Amino acid sequence: MDLVPASKFTYEELTHAYNQTRVDYLVPMPMNVARLKEYSRVYDIDLDSSVVVVDWENDNLIYGLGMLGVRGDRGWITRLGVLPFGRRMGIGGQLMDGLIASAARLRLAQIWLEVIKDNDPAHRMFRRYGFVETRELVVARRPPNPEDRPNIEDRVKRVTPLNHEDAIILLSHRQERANWLNQTKSMQNVYNLSGLLVELHDGGRGWVTYHAGLLQITRIIVEVTVGDPTEVTATVLQVLHQRYKRQDAIAENMCDDAQWLGFQQAGYFESFRRIEMVKEMLK
Amino acid sequence: MKTILQIEDNRANRILVERVLEPYDYRLIQAEDGESGVSMALEEKPDLILLDMGLPDVDGQTVVTLLRQIPELKDVPVVAITAWPEETAVEMAERYGCDGCIIKPINVKTFPNEIAAYLE
Repeated sequence: MDLVPASKFTYEELTHAYNQTRVDYLVPMPMNVARLKEYSRVYDIDLDSSVVVVDWENDNLIYGLGMLGVRGDRGWITRLGVLPFGRRMGIGGQLMDGLIASAARLRLAQIWLEVIKDNDPAHRMFRRYGFVETRELVVARRPPNPEDRPNIEDRVKRVTPLNHEDAIILLSHRQERANWLNQTKSMQNVYNLSGLLVELHDGGRGWVTYHAGLLQITRIIVEVTVGDPTEVTATVLQVLHQRYKRQDAIAENMCDDAQWLGFQQAGYFESFRRIEMVKEMLK
Repeated sequence: MKTILQIEDNRANRILVERVLEPYDYRLIQAEDGESGVSMALEEKPDLILLDMGLPDVDGQTVVTLLRQIPELKDVPVVAITAWPEETAVEMAERYGCDGCIIKPINVKTFPNEIAAYLE
């Protein structure tokens, strides 16, 4: 079996292999070709530095794959998985060795990744490779509720819609370190990001940026600039969902903090959690 | 004859349901992703939809959201089929307006009775 760059394969082949790695996964998250291409573009996946374990002598059979996103001196491991028939053969370790070698070749200072909480075998493997937990992240959903009419008029003084460029400016001024998915660079790579700047009568102020699709509101990021983080977050989200009553909403990789309580007040519930981990390459 | 629509991307899971329901008097139709599943539901007006929550184009939660907004389909029972931990699966199914959930891997012995119950 050989470890080769993922760029030697078509997106069709990579998608098929990736979906096979996830058939029995805790949170399956299969993709189609269009989604994997979009994912690679938005998250700056470098297919030359991403790896595939393949058996060329057995009809080019793929045993596993792992992808590496690259931004400046930071890397991000994602879509790592081994196909069911390749388990317990050391393929996961081979993939990790390949990805870390790619990171070293690119002189990256740090590699980030996330592992789904309770995926203990993967979590243990990442620890063995020197990754250290940094924080726990919440992935949340909110089903649409067209009948829901929260009384926000009394609280909201002004709502200013923002275009993609305005949204990016706000995102780039965030105080907290964003996870790879929510970094400004990821959002820059998303077309047609929108935003709402919400001012409250009590002086509270906050904004939300998001991508509004026909069926889903995604890429949701809220920041409270003035006021109680929970209350302002909830109100900002209520304003958002009054405008998009029929869309399902997905908010990924939020910290479990006062803002998350605001999301819950606005009807979000926890879908699952990820654990963010980082490996320092220069130490 | 009752029509059951299964929306499931995994071929092995589609074949399994096909085999398990074969002896029963159902018409089983199958779709591989969310978009074709919704189209098929609109065309066929099934009596029951078995919905895998992890689909390659749009996920099951969004599919059921859409189904519930289509007047001709909003009352069709939808059963989420998922590998999520049971507690999460039940909450997800309830919040998204599914009529129930079945945890993967399906129990081939009890599955036909579960389906019959949803069809009642």
